[in-house]
Amino acid sequence: MSDQPPEIPVRTVRASIFERASVVWLVPMATLLVALGVAWQSYSDRGPVIEIAFSSAAGMSPGETVLRYRDVDVGLVEDVSFTDDLSQVLASVRLEKSIADFVDEGSKFWIVRPEVSARGVSGLDTVLSGIYIEGTWDSVPDGLAVRHAALSEPPLAAGDEQGLRIVLNASPGAALSEGAPILYKGIEVGRIGKPGLSEDGVNAQANAIIFEPYDRIVTSATRFWDTSGFTFSIGAGGAELDFTSLASLIGGGVTFETIVSGGRPAADGAQFGLFADEGRARASLFETSDETELNLTVVFRENFSGLVVGAPVELDGVRIGEVSSIRGLVDEDRFGDDGVRLLTTLALVPSRLSLDLSTFDDPLDYFVQRVDAGLRARLATATILTGGLKVEMIDVPDAPIELMDMAGDPYPILPSTQSEISDVSATAEGVFQRINALPIEELLVSAIAFLDAAENLVGAEDTRAVPGDVRGLIGDVRGLVSAPAMQGLPGEVSALVGELQGVAEDMRAVTAALDEADLVARLQGAIDAAAAAATGVETSVAGVPELVTSVTNLSDRAASIPLEDMIEQASATLASAEALFVSEDTQALPGALGTALGEVEAALRELREGGAVRSLNQTLASAETAAAAVETAVAGLPSLAARIEELVAQAEETLAGLDQNSDFSREARAALRDVSDAAKAFESLSRALERRPNSVILGR
Amino acid sequence: MERVGFTDPVLTARDAGLVGCRSCARAWPMGTEVCPNCGARVQSRSRRSLQRVWAWWLAGLICYVPANIYPMLETRTLVHTESATIVGGAVDLAAHGAYGIALIILVASVVIPVGKFVSIAFLALSVGRISRTSPEARHGVHEIVEYIGRWSMIDVFVVAILSSLVQLNAVAAIQPGPASLAFALSVIFTMLSAQAFDPRMIWDGIEDQKAGHL
Repeated sequence: MSDQPPEIPVRTVRASIFERASVVWLVPMATLLVALGVAWQSYSDRGPVIEIAFSSAAGMSPGETVLRYRDVDVGLVEDVSFTDDLSQVLASVRLEKSIADFVDEGSKFWIVRPEVSARGVSGLDTVLSGIYIEGTWDSVPDGLAVRHAALSEPPLAAGDEQGLRIVLNASPGAALSEGAPILYKGIEVGRIGKPGLSEDGVNAQANAIIFEPYDRIVTSATRFWDTSGFTFSIGAGGAELDFTSLASLIGGGVTFETIVSGGRPAADGAQFGLFADEGRARASLFETSDETELNLTVVFRENFSGLVVGAPVELDGVRIGEVSSIRGLVDEDRFGDDGVRLLTTLALVPSRLSLDLSTFDDPLDYFVQRVDAGLRARLATATILTGGLKVEMIDVPDAPIELMDMAGDPYPILPSTQSEISDVSATAEGVFQRINALPIEELLVSAIAFLDAAENLVGAEDTRAVPGDVRGLIGDVRGLVSAPAMQGLPGEVSALVGELQGVAEDMRAVTAALDEADLVARLQGAIDAAAAAATGVETSVAGVPELVTSVTNLSDRAASIPLEDMIEQASATLASAEALFVSEDTQALPGALGTALGEVEAALRELREGGAVRSLNQTLASAETAAAAVETAVAGLPSLAARIEELVAQAEETLAGLDQNSDFSREARAALRDVSDAAKAFESLSRALERRPNSVILGR
Repeated sequence: MERVGFTDPVLTARDAGLVGCRSCARAWPMGTEVCPNCGARVQSRSRRSLQRVWAWWLAGLICYVPANIYPMLETRTLVHTESATIVGGAVDLAAHGAYGIALIILVASVVIPVGKFVSIAFLALSVGRISRTSPEARHGVHEIVEYIGRWSMIDVFVVAILSSLVQLNAVAAIQPGPASLAFALSVIFTMLSAQAFDPRMIWDGIEDQKAGHL
């Protein structure tokens, strides 16, 4: 009995707790648990907030604009505010917790907007839904980074897109356009990024990516070329219009080909040239290799036009590279004056030299060694026709000691020497100077003066009078010869002879044994001499008409010679001809001849008017005087003939150089022959007159 | 506060040693567990009735919190997505000039549930205590609460109908928000809470009260 009372209240109390508690209480407890669980879960699921700085928040609205990664929403813009200095817009983005650790320092963010380009439309969904922020990051969780700066444009490749990243250097004529596709056999295998200038500012370059698995195609033997635009060619096969695709026609595109096998696989960051067309790309494989170029700078003291980018660089006649850039340079501190220097950058391909790399670790060492031995760069004429220049490296044996300037910026400086270009230009200049110095104007003046003088001579009344005078002389001589007195002269002479016979008979009778035969012999000699003289005159007179004809012909031909052609005669010939014609002797000759003939005429007239020969001695004396005058006048004839001959010789010499068949040449030759004939006639006339001056008078 | 017919002392079935069947209203001797007439369970008073009331009431109250915090409707159109809570939606409607609809939503979703919470709590608290409110009035309150409770589901129905009707794929779509489930649960819980309340308890001890008063 004593045990029970303490037990009962305990049991009752315990039982009452369970008994009184309704099962329904589980419901609010469960509800509370669920509510708390949901609350805790939503709190713990909240990711961190990052801030992304944009230059502008166009179209961004808090609570709506999302952050996407691979097109999956991973965050929401909660707030849009400014940086402290209002320079940028800060978007606070609530990230999802699961990806928060991946959003590290290397993450990139950019705004995706609708974009219409030649290559198509992108981001079209954002037209209606509004913009969103695209993010990319690598697959390594490196911890959250809170502050990020957004990119102004989408990156070349999203973070997960694997591929070969290369650098394309545009050669002249090739265009790099941002976002242009890289095609390989028509398949888009890569993309070109935003073009920019290379570090040395020499050419344009752009990053490009070749996506996997196509990156294996690219080796050191791969050549890239521009396929934008189209080519139109007309050949034997007809007209051909060639373009790769409509998109690349408008937006630009690049394709490549691994032309020969055996190249080394390209590594990230490899540099490739972008050629303007396939032909050049293929040709380049055999011109240049992708070996690392050796860049040298040469400062030329002379500044010549004619050196262009791409001009060859030759070492001992072997083309080892080309000029990659040319700049003028004024540096008073360095050169001591403020003259312009030609700063030329040479891109050399040392593999052309097949250098033994066991001897030279660096191809530059080879040049350093050669420079020590006197290697110098100079400008030389590549082609005379265009005046193009090339850079030549030659050994200058006695060059002043000068070392390679290894500290040159941006490249080592190779010393230069006097350019060869000056010699060539001097030669060409000399040729032009000599052409310039030719006295064309004086030649024309001389020719005109010569022609004037010739015209004067030919047109001079004296000259014209010569034939008349000569004819008159001949007429007079004929008249004299046929004159009754002259005809009667033999009769008178025979009468005289008869008288003389009578005298002789008287003398014979008187002097008997006087040597009458001697007188007769003398007289006979005199008569013979007179007859010979008459014959000489006849001979010489026989040539006169021929001379006249020749002179007429000459003047006709001279008149018919075109003045323009005459101008082309050599000035020396003309000058001497002019000197001949303007000489006083020549000018005086016709006058003197005329005077002489006048005298002869006068003498003959006197002889004729004198009726019968008043006195043979007087006549002969008078004739002798006349003959002497003739002789004096004619004395100039040989020299005249000689000078004419000289002129002819010179003219012939000159004409010999002219075209043998030209009309002018033929005419000139004929004229000269005539002049020559005239000279000969003059000569023979003068010779005959010299020989027998009195033959003119005697008519025989 | 006193009605004429009830001025006399009331004899309840419980005091008479009887128990009434709530289904067929027949009285049986105390201790009967199953109504021999209709087969329903008969109890003189629901066991732990007040506990169940309070339990459901608490569950409903807990559910009512997220029902107001989370969005009720998610309207997704081509341009953007909009989500609205109950009060926010009503305010939006009012702002757009639809005062009538805003009032209906506000009454159905805010006034009625809150009124129910208050009413049930009042009823439960007043059981077994001396109340200034007459049992008749309290019984009336219980009747109203039981009757009107289901109308709170009007908001849930609106959401259900809208989200099933407005499904135009890309152009526009309406999705029920998480609050709709919480609100529905809250309504259900409060209805259960009201149902769990045994109105006979209102009359228990009325004799004592009357005796005390009179």
